Amino acid sequence: MTVLTRGAYAGPGTSLDFKTGNWRSTEKPAHIHAKAPCHAACPAGEDQQAWFAKLQEGHAEDAWRELVSANPLPAITGRVCPHPCETACNRVAVEGALAIHNVERWLGDEAMRRNWAYPVTEPAEDAPDVAIVGAGPGGVSAAYHCLRHGLRATLYETAPEAGGLLRSAIPRTRLPRETIDAELARVLGLPGITLHTRARLGRDVTIDELKRKHAAVLLAPGCQEGKEWSVDGAVPADLHEGLHLLKEFMDHGAVPEAKNVIVHGGGNTAMDLCRIMKRSGAETVTLITASVLPGPDADPSDVINVVPRELEEALEEGVEVIEHATINRLIMKGSQVCGAEIQSLRKLPGQDGRSRRVGFEGTERVINVDMVIPCIGERVDPEGLNGLVDHGYLRPSDRFGRLAEERVLALGDARGDRGTVADAIGDGRLAVSAVAAQLAGESDPPADARGEMPSGGLNLGYYEGISRAVAPKLAVADRTFDKEIEGDIGRAAVMAEAERCMACGNCLACDNCWTFCPDNAVIKTEELAVDGSHYLFDMDFCKGCGICAHECPTGFIQMLPEEAGG
Amino acid sequence: MSTEGQDAARLAELRQKFGREPLPPREGEAEQSPRDAQPRFRGLESGHRACQGCGEALAARLVMECAGPDVMIANATGCLEVFTTAWPQSAWRVPWVHSLFENAAAVASGMEAAMKAKGRNTKVLAFGGDGGTYDIGFQALSGMLERYHNVLYVCFDNEAYMNTGIQRSSSTPHAATTTTSPAGKERMGKRHLKKDLLSIIAAHHIPFAASASVAYAADLQRKVRYAMGVDGPTFLVVHSPCPLGWRHASAMTIEVARRAVECGLFPLVEIERGAVTNVMPIRDVRPVTDYLSLQGRFAHLMKDADSRAAEERAHLQALADYNIEVFGLRGDSPDAADTTGTAVVGRSGRPAGRI
Ligand SMILES: Cc1cc2nc3c(=O)[nH]c(=O)nc-3n(C[C@H](O)[C@H](O)[C@H](O)COP(=O)(O)OP(=O)(O)OC[C@H]3O[C@@H](n4cnc5c(N)ncnc54)[C@H](O)[C@@H]3O)c2cc1C
Ligand SMILES: Cc1ncc(C[n+]2csc(CCOP(=O)(O)OP(=O)(O)O)c2C)c(N)n1
Ligand code: SF4
Ligand code: SF4
Ligand code: SF4
Ligand SMILES: [Mg+2]
Repeated sequence: MTVLTRGAYAGPGTSLDFKTGNWRSTEKPAHIHAKAPCHAACPAGEDQQAWFAKLQEGHAEDAWRELVSANPLPAITGRVCPHPCETACNRVAVEGALAIHNVERWLGDEAMRRNWAYPVTEPAEDAPDVAIVGAGPGGVSAAYHCLRHGLRATLYETAPEAGGLLRSAIPRTRLPRETIDAELARVLGLPGITLHTRARLGRDVTIDELKRKHAAVLLAPGCQEGKEWSVDGAVPADLHEGLHLLKEFMDHGAVPEAKNVIVHGGGNTAMDLCRIMKRSGAETVTLITASVLPGPDADPSDVINVVPRELEEALEEGVEVIEHATINRLIMKGSQVCGAEIQSLRKLPGQDGRSRRVGFEGTERVINVDMVIPCIGERVDPEGLNGLVDHGYLRPSDRFGRLAEERVLALGDARGDRGTVADAIGDGRLAVSAVAAQLAGESDPPADARGEMPSGGLNLGYYEGISRAVAPKLAVADRTFDKEIEGDIGRAAVMAEAERCMACGNCLACDNCWTFCPDNAVIKTEELAVDGSHYLFDMDFCKGCGICAHECPTGFIQMLPEEAGG
Repeated sequence: MSTEGQDAARLAELRQKFGREPLPPREGEAEQSPRDAQPRFRGLESGHRACQGCGEALAARLVMECAGPDVMIANATGCLEVFTTAWPQSAWRVPWVHSLFENAAAVASGMEAAMKAKGRNTKVLAFGGDGGTYDIGFQALSGMLERYHNVLYVCFDNEAYMNTGIQRSSSTPHAATTTTSPAGKERMGKRHLKKDLLSIIAAHHIPFAASASVAYAADLQRKVRYAMGVDGPTFLVVHSPCPLGWRHASAMTIEVARRAVECGLFPLVEIERGAVTNVMPIRDVRPVTDYLSLQGRFAHLMKDADSRAAEERAHLQALADYNIEVFGLRGDSPDAADTTGTAVVGRSGRPAGRI
């Protein structure tokens, strides 16, 4: 008998029959997958957030495997990359960017110490074979990514060893030989990659031949030819062109003697040469650059294009810099330089809207020098390139590197719009992805259209200040020509550094949404959640209050219009 | 129609109205739903009728998670009682009794005595709003504490009589506007001060009395667990923002609660037998305006043209500074249990070594 009185009671939890989900008016919460800024900024395409997540779980090898899914050379990039990821890192809004490059380097070194296996398998015996010209970082990355796509790769390299500028130009104080040798050997030793050294395009092979023998031809010859340099027609008899001088130094360990040196340029070659000349005993070394040193007021597009750490160390070592300046005139004694006239300039917008550099009358001054080293850039050596070179570079038409010729793609420095090791590595990955898609009869892989998570999208209240790891460094007095300057931070600091990662735009599995939803509408379930988090929204009960989105530390939850899908 | 028939018809009508289908048997279900598999006790379920972003609903859920399942509740009249039990449904999954507005503590005392008589260990909880605790239920509460009943009394403090339309209570902060303390030409909101209830409770010399906030869930739950283990009267007041009454965006509930603590207006303290035994230090003390400016109930204090506004802002700042001084809330150095340290998250929950 049903007795219904004011004292009757309802069954436990029967409110579940009442679906409050229809109270939502305009917005509903959703897991959005935004790119972490570090990832968005990485030219090699690494997802730092993803590998920091593995480190946070305590799995270093998994972190390395995640890292090398994009970049096979972390021990190298961890040492030389200008790390735009750190510049982009949202942690700047708390107390400072993560020391991403130090962690990357440690992972690369640790993989070699422990001989972790690259996550690739040997391609089939009859898999398509891709020809790659040039075994610099770009070519090596391309070869590695061929394996990831089930393709074989054959590298043609004119030098006796692989490595490109890593070996021939970047000083050992920044990138020890042992590191290059060990990491390249591990990649080039993977089954499915064949390396022909002393094989020069134009001399030993031709593009047409390669096209006949291979499924595609990737050109990664870098830029090996110095640009011509003269000041109003004056060219000193003993002109030392920057890259040439540097390569000679790398081979023989010596540079010509000079007391007062001017280096003219604003890139890595200029910076490395300044430091080498200073260390070789030059009294003064002055860098003349049209660009500006980084600083709060500096226009980012005008800032000198070098690894920030290198600039810092060069200044520490006593290199002087005259920014926003150029060389107007060389003061000669016969055919020897004995001075240079410097003039201030600025990058200003011209009549047509395009900016150009304008020299200012009345700012000329003369510096006494006995050597001027131009480092104003290099171009592609056109030999064997079938006339594909246009004004010094290969200038492909898209991000994959396509050239006018069918099945021929360009990557790395030779493109003309690149300039770092990480760029070249990223190019290798992109070019191979396009080749693989084409071979499979598919259209080009789509660009990652996800938005980027800015620091304003995070809830910074859930992170506390933890100071950034500081790498040990040789004191200026102890620096030599071959001892590495920056040291290893070590496992403990790596793990502590990983804890600082805020997981921008991705789920941290922190439970905040699950804890703070007043309506129990967040369900924690590792089994059913398939989107990289461990949580589902129960839309039957979610009232759309927005608390979960506001309290999600990483911005992974956002309120979307009710109509939106997903 | 027979009485029985009438009842059945009425029940059918109610079920029709609330869309209730008879529940399938819950026991022995072949597959556990993800909801049933949640790794926490769901003493207060979904489907309750609290407003979007209700701090009180959240606070009650957090309390239930670590108090249940072997508890029974006496709940005073107020929002919590109303929104959880819209007949014929209940969001509770423990024995729950609706007392009157004024007597939750008295009813809980009786329940506790009954449990004792039956030789049962089931802990009795008493829930009330600030109206039901600071005001009308106060003498019943005082009696319960003085008679030393083994009851945990939780006051969900949303700083006004919300269920009846935002009337001021003795817990409403100074200068807040409510329907019975409206800001206008005559007054800048409530003229009087927020009652220092915790000190009065402490004067009963009970084993444990504390304040907590929905913004610091881990701290709140630690306090509940501690109180559950005490054999005797314990008291918890939980700061629970009300988006409707405080007039803030529903998404800002936690943010508002957090700022109340960080500015010093709602200090988190623990008192045992009359003595302060712990406080949550504030790592970065915020100005009260950070807290006030998020809420419509203080909007009149943000008008620069009104000189009274500046004075009231200064008054509230002085009250916050007073709390910080008397409870020693300013942290000397970063601490894992201070306002920032308690909030910090890490992968898969809170960093090791935190409460
Ligand atoms: C002094 C200096 C310092 C630098 N420092 C940094 C730094 O700190 N960080 C950073 O990210 N980048 C730095 N760079 C830039 C970086 O080295 C290059 O961007 C990168 O090496 C480009 O890689 P790549 O594979 O495109 O070309 P390269 O490294 O130039 O490799 C090209 C390879 O192709 C081979 N090759 C050329 N022509 C042929 C041919 N016809 N047939 C067969 N093989 C051929 C070459 O021998 C070479 O091995 C620096 C560059 C210089 C010069
Ligand atoms: C004796 C008595 N007076 C008045 C009421 C009407 N009434 C019901 S709830 C309520 C206010 C409740 O306020 P509070 O205790 O702060 O709880 P809240 O709704 O804010 O959570 C009032 C005045 C009542 N139920 N009983
Ligand atoms: S905090 Fe982590 S995810 Fe965010 S930008 Fe920095 S490294 Fe990337
Ligand atoms: S907190 Fe809960 S009710 Fe509010 S939007 Fe998120 S899931 Fe929905
Ligand atoms: S609140 Fe935490 S657990 Fe929830 S989605 Fe955001 S990061 Fe993940
Ligand atoms: Mg109230």
